[in-house]
Amino acid sequence: MKRITRLRAGIAGAAALIVGTAGMAEAQNVTLEYWVYSDFAQGEALALQQEFIKEFTEAHPGVTINITGKGDDDLTAGQVAGAASGNLPDVFMNAQSVGAQLVEVGALANIYEKWMAMPQEFRDQFDEDALASCMPRPEELYCIPYTGFGSLLFRNLTVLEQAGIDPSVPPATWDEWFAQMQKVKDAGLYAIPDETLVFNSIAEIYATSGSSETWGFNWDDRTTRIDPAIMAKVLQKFVDMAPLTSGTSRNDQATKDLFISNQLAFHTVGPWVNPTYEEAAKTSGLKYDFVLIPGDEPGKTGGIRSYEIVGVAPGPNMDIAFEFATYITEKQQMVRWAKLLSRYNANAAAMADPEVSDLPLIKVSVEAARGAMEVAAPYFIDSVPSCYNSTVIDYASATADGEYTPEEGAQEMIAELNSCLAE
Amino acid sequence: MSRATIVFRRITVWTVLKWALALIVAAIAIFPIWWMINVVFALPGEPVSLNPRLWPSSLSAGIEKIRMIFMETEYLRAYGISVVYALLTIAGVLLIGSLAAFEFSLFDFPGRRLLFGIVMLSLMVPTAVTIIPTYLLTSRLGWLNTMQGLVVPGLASAFGLFMLVQFMRAIPKDMIEAARLDGANHLQIYWHVALPLCRNALVTLAILTFMQTWGNYMWPLVISTRPEMYTVGQVVGLFNSPLSHHTVDTVMTANLLAAVPPLLFFLIFQRKIVEGIAMSGTKG
Amino acid sequence: MTLRRYLPHYLMIAPFMVLFAAFFLYPILSGLYYSFHDWNGVKTPEFVGLTNYQKILASRDFSTAMTNLLWYISITVPLGILVALGLALLVDSFTGRWANFFRNAYFLPVVLPAFLAATIWRWIYAPNFGLLNMILGWFGVPSVNFLNDTDTMLYALIAVDVWVSAGFNMVILLAGLKNIPGELYEAARLDGASKWQQIIHITIPMLGPVLFFVFTYGFISAMQVFDKPWLLTGSSFTSYGGRRNALLFPVMDMMGRGFGEVKFGEAAAYGFLLTITIVAVTALMFGLRAWRERK
Repeated sequence: MKRITRLRAGIAGAAALIVGTAGMAEAQNVTLEYWVYSDFAQGEALALQQEFIKEFTEAHPGVTINITGKGDDDLTAGQVAGAASGNLPDVFMNAQSVGAQLVEVGALANIYEKWMAMPQEFRDQFDEDALASCMPRPEELYCIPYTGFGSLLFRNLTVLEQAGIDPSVPPATWDEWFAQMQKVKDAGLYAIPDETLVFNSIAEIYATSGSSETWGFNWDDRTTRIDPAIMAKVLQKFVDMAPLTSGTSRNDQATKDLFISNQLAFHTVGPWVNPTYEEAAKTSGLKYDFVLIPGDEPGKTGGIRSYEIVGVAPGPNMDIAFEFATYITEKQQMVRWAKLLSRYNANAAAMADPEVSDLPLIKVSVEAARGAMEVAAPYFIDSVPSCYNSTVIDYASATADGEYTPEEGAQEMIAELNSCLAE
Repeated sequence: MSRATIVFRRITVWTVLKWALALIVAAIAIFPIWWMINVVFALPGEPVSLNPRLWPSSLSAGIEKIRMIFMETEYLRAYGISVVYALLTIAGVLLIGSLAAFEFSLFDFPGRRLLFGIVMLSLMVPTAVTIIPTYLLTSRLGWLNTMQGLVVPGLASAFGLFMLVQFMRAIPKDMIEAARLDGANHLQIYWHVALPLCRNALVTLAILTFMQTWGNYMWPLVISTRPEMYTVGQVVGLFNSPLSHHTVDTVMTANLLAAVPPLLFFLIFQRKIVEGIAMSGTKG
Repeated sequence: MTLRRYLPHYLMIAPFMVLFAAFFLYPILSGLYYSFHDWNGVKTPEFVGLTNYQKILASRDFSTAMTNLLWYISITVPLGILVALGLALLVDSFTGRWANFFRNAYFLPVVLPAFLAATIWRWIYAPNFGLLNMILGWFGVPSVNFLNDTDTMLYALIAVDVWVSAGFNMVILLAGLKNIPGELYEAARLDGASKWQQIIHITIPMLGPVLFFVFTYGFISAMQVFDKPWLLTGSSFTSYGGRRNALLFPVMDMMGRGFGEVKFGEAAAYGFLLTITIVAVTALMFGLRAWRERK
């Protein structure tokens, strides 16, 4: 009796294996919910995503995939709410920095084993650093890195010329850059958005002096990695920049509008603003380019680096969901995706494709990402308490307002950050 | 004395000041909306920050933007969803609320004060407090991404009940008695006596419910996770997001279109709205 | 049979009460339950006693949010009513078509969805080139960064708030004004009372109950302020409250703890602290009114 049971179990297991390896989706009738960033669900980007879906579902009869675009905040809120009720998207994009929360609520699965079962040549396509950032510990892989960015310095060339700056030579160091900002101000125009208003723009400027080793978290003893000396130096930069800013934040629509209307010289931000600026170049003659954010010494770059991730939710659809995730992140698809949007991504093989690497935005992005600082590393270990980001912003703005000296500001910020993390 | 002097003597400093003040306040109230219309009806690529936009500069460009939003995005479907959501909510709130208000205001029965008191207390609970448990319940019912999921949890409107009770209290008890003596049953009294007498209140509540449902953002956000069920608020949220590729004028067009139905509603029903709100406040 | 006698009444309120119990009472009671538990929405809630409440009361964000709220309420509620009363008197002094026109114009902002008002005002407040700064510039006032300067942020919010809500309260007060018998003014005029004296001695006392309604309603909604400051500061679940938390309010903090940090137990406890405060203050106001009326 027992033997028969075991035998039957064995057969079932073998059958499952065969089905599993040969044609996973064969005879499956499943619907996958696929959530993407809202800008990937508009216009041409949406059309290409739908093409990927069509190709995949044609090869996997019975599978239906619903694509949904969501603003970045709504992605996380929707997943958190969905986790509580068991209505999770099966495949989704989100930011690495919220990964730990998603793991905590069970919205994001460890795909390490499935990943290792993929052919070597597929795994080798990806950027090693990017992949490593998805692996908090050995045998734990929580994401396939997708599109990414290193922040760029968008320059309005008309404004620079008006300020008597030769735009053909981008600033090589912070000092040169800051001197240009002052010239712009002297010409009666705005140099830069107020970089103290948003966590990511503070990080971008911090990176002109600091690096990944002095930013982010030590999760072992729950302290910040921020270095007081570097932070003091950076806070001094905010004090210096204070009179030169437009007063709007890096993410404000008003900032883009000022840039387009030739009143703002510099905008440090990720490549997602490029479609807006490209459009403005066509319709209103905006002249702009994008270069690396200069660091303190020549050759050092500022700016931050982060990847959007493709994640898979645990659950009955996980196998087919993972397969879909590997399909869209495979070189062929990533090449098409990169070409369409001019967006850098974590598939290094795709980035090396000559058709892709010649695209100017990607060319600069590859370099920018290489020199940039991880924005909130290490990821996927623990969720960052909300007091962390707000403390950084508070002290940066208070110091820029003149309430602290840079040294005081840095000391107090770090003390406050450590107590925030310790809670 | 000539006519001119009579007129002149009537116009005192006080009158001039009064008119000036009234006009200035009207400008403050209306101008921001007017400004938005001007941003929409301007050539694309004309930056908003360059000039203050006192007049619309290009009618055709505005129409083109509106056409683009309706034809090339999911705006139109969201419009439909929002309209159905609002209409069903209005119908439900009015029916359920007036049934309950009829009892609470005109009759006495054991537990009346207690039940009414509990409902009134709920006005003081921030909606955000209940959103997660309500969401979990709704999803357990399998109502995510459905119209009933959007509508049903909002039907027991404490504010609506409060307002209707205020109105129905004014109905003379004699009329109820008279109807009863004529042989009308309970439901008939409700339908033929009470409802017609508070028609104004019902219209006002309908309009207030419409404005509130139309502007509701948080509830649809958690309930409608699929684009097929997105409401106008959610679609406008996509336009407003910092990652949006749209330029400012297109974003404003999306916003303005969301304001058109409530504005139209107000212009058509303005007297009823104003009277209704006024009565709900003064009878309290 | 009492049940038989009252049955029709219960049947008529049943639809409302059933829905109310399901979608309001049940959620709020389960919220109360979660407020004593550590819960992220997924795992089994773990009983932690009063820890959530203690954590909130001890947190810096809570005291910031409460301080902001206190300032906000003590300005926006009286100011809003004062403006509304002023507008009501102003409109009341016109007749016919013009009275209608002004009343409708002042009411117009009430009709807009909240997200729209915030979008428009972000542009009006923009530093340097925003409409408001442009007007100030004509008078030689240097640019003010209304939504990022901690000295002005609260007032910027209050202005939007008054802009949106004044029309609503005005309409209610206007009806109250119409209900004041004309003979009272007539008599006062014969006694030689000035317009100002008439307002102080007749209008405001006669408006008492209406003012009380407007005040209570305004207070309850001000306690729950959420969408306007959230949108004006461009908040998201990971970063909210604006520069140096100058526009951080309790409901925002609560939503952040829930959806941003996935601490639903804490968020629920936050909600209850807030609810208790609202109920207590409202009860106090009703008590005061009853006490004054008895005197």
